[in-house]
Amino acid sequence: MSGGALVLGEVRGGRLARASAEAVTVARRLVGPAGSGTVTGLVLAGAPAAAASELARTGVDRVLAVSDPTFDAFHASRTAAVAAAVATERSAAHVVVGGTAAGRELVGRLAARWDAAAVTGVVDLVPDGDRGFRAVRTVFSGRAFEEVRLEGPRAVWGTHPLAFAAPPPGPEAPVEARAISGGPSPVPGTAVGFEAASNASGPDLAEATVVVSGGRGLRAPENFHLVEELAGALGGAVGASRAVTDAGWRPTSYQVGQTGRTVTPQLYVAVGISGAIQHLVGMVGSRTIVAINSDPNAPIFKVADYGVVGDLFQIVPALTAEVRKVRGA
Amino acid sequence: MEILVLVKAVPDPEARLRPNAAGTAPDLDGVKWVLAGYDESAVEQALLLREAVPDSHVRALAVGPAPRTEEVLRAALALGCDGATWVEPPADLAIDPLLAARALAAAGRRSPFQLVLVGKQAMDDEAGLVGPAVAEHLAVPDFGPVVDLRWDAAGGRFRFARAVEGGLERLEAPPPIVVALQQAWNDPRTAKLQNVLRSRRAPIEKVPWPEVAAALGDRRARSVRTAFRLPPPRSGAKMIEYSTPEEAAQKLVRALREEARTFP
Repeated sequence: MSGGALVLGEVRGGRLARASAEAVTVARRLVGPAGSGTVTGLVLAGAPAAAASELARTGVDRVLAVSDPTFDAFHASRTAAVAAAVATERSAAHVVVGGTAAGRELVGRLAARWDAAAVTGVVDLVPDGDRGFRAVRTVFSGRAFEEVRLEGPRAVWGTHPLAFAAPPPGPEAPVEARAISGGPSPVPGTAVGFEAASNASGPDLAEATVVVSGGRGLRAPENFHLVEELAGALGGAVGASRAVTDAGWRPTSYQVGQTGRTVTPQLYVAVGISGAIQHLVGMVGSRTIVAINSDPNAPIFKVADYGVVGDLFQIVPALTAEVRKVRGA
Repeated sequence: MEILVLVKAVPDPEARLRPNAAGTAPDLDGVKWVLAGYDESAVEQALLLREAVPDSHVRALAVGPAPRTEEVLRAALALGCDGATWVEPPADLAIDPLLAARALAAAGRRSPFQLVLVGKQAMDDEAGLVGPAVAEHLAVPDFGPVVDLRWDAAGGRFRFARAVEGGLERLEAPPPIVVALQQAWNDPRTAKLQNVLRSRRAPIEKVPWPEVAAALGDRRARSVRTAFRLPPPRSGAKMIEYSTPEEAAQKLVRALREEARTFP
């Protein structure tokens, strides 16, 4: 498969979502070195200019910016319609979508509309001879990997958050304002409110490069600040085990595990978490795992890279202080 | 209200996972196939809505091979679904998620519905493609990943929340819609023995493959699994030896900076 690629630039709070920049990295690999295929960025928003400009500096060849306030609300069907129309117009062979909630929703809808093969949760690409690339992804709650080949003339690739590096900002490619309707699509729902998660002050769990999670070893909800302070010092997000959310110490939005969120940060710190399988499947894809636990036989030490056996009420404050010292904060 | 709930037979999540000899697929010899995870939540959500909305019916719909697909449809009937519809593909046809979505949409549109419920992803391949793709083929809106779905009888619309980055987006939408459910936020019921026995004799509607085959589109476009493997076993944590908490902190930070290179 060859030909150009289209990257959907998702706008969040007026800025380009990092997952969209990560998608450009995938698109560049799919089309080959500069000159062998073009990468087009597409931004759909009421005010797309800032995000379009950011996307234009990620190494794409051009950006199409569609200014339409209806895109500021959730509208997967219409986004899919416009993306399919643009991909067809530009004779693209690939569309790449970043791994956000909206992105995951879009892949299936777009593939159905564009009559393409599709894959989601891509964590790596491996060369596949003259066919291009196979996608590597995790299956069975992170317990296994599979490789998938997309056959046919068109393919939609959904990336896994943080699996690919976002390109460093470079020279700005041309940005072209366009009006594209994409044809009929069903009327979506009406947004009537937004409830920010109580852990929304830091980075989102799924997108954080560092996650610090607390478990039952903290003994009481009033001790959870130890986890929050360490996460704050590391610039990371706060998570929790199911024991903590089931006990009501923290809302379910904090939960990492099979019935909660799956996270894949560069650094995962498990504080007072024994490591039940239901928790492990939500974090085992993390690059480096640190476990702090008083029980040397806790299963968490089997999946961790570094372990500290000891009293978390002493270790965690010392670690927070050391991190602040080293990071100069 | 007519509710369609899409289900899929998946290998028992408790079963040990290993690749086949060729390393191209999981070895599923002797594995038990079950209704599990997000699909179980979707069935529960459908039954809760039926209990809340008078004159509602829940039909489970699945595409897949015998006998596993029939078995999970019977499991859905045992949980309380009113009917079950099975699309059985030819034995030699590989079904990828987008082909499954086309077949499910073709079978689903044969009768009116106000709601299509689906798990946000299957427990096995975790693709998450079927819900949005079915919605596109049915030309109705889709929403996912959804928590807390309710029917507002006075307003004639569904009220629900999408779990998105940073919080919950509250939405309302009139029927018909497709909803992909986030997680087991409800507590799925277990089937009563008498219902399990009754479900074994319950009729299952079968949709002949030629009836959906016309809707299957460009068959050149498909995904093919070429490899399946387990992650390399982790060798166990390198334990930090220390005499004071401060020393533990210093050694750990040094290891993260100099060895792992994942210190932010």
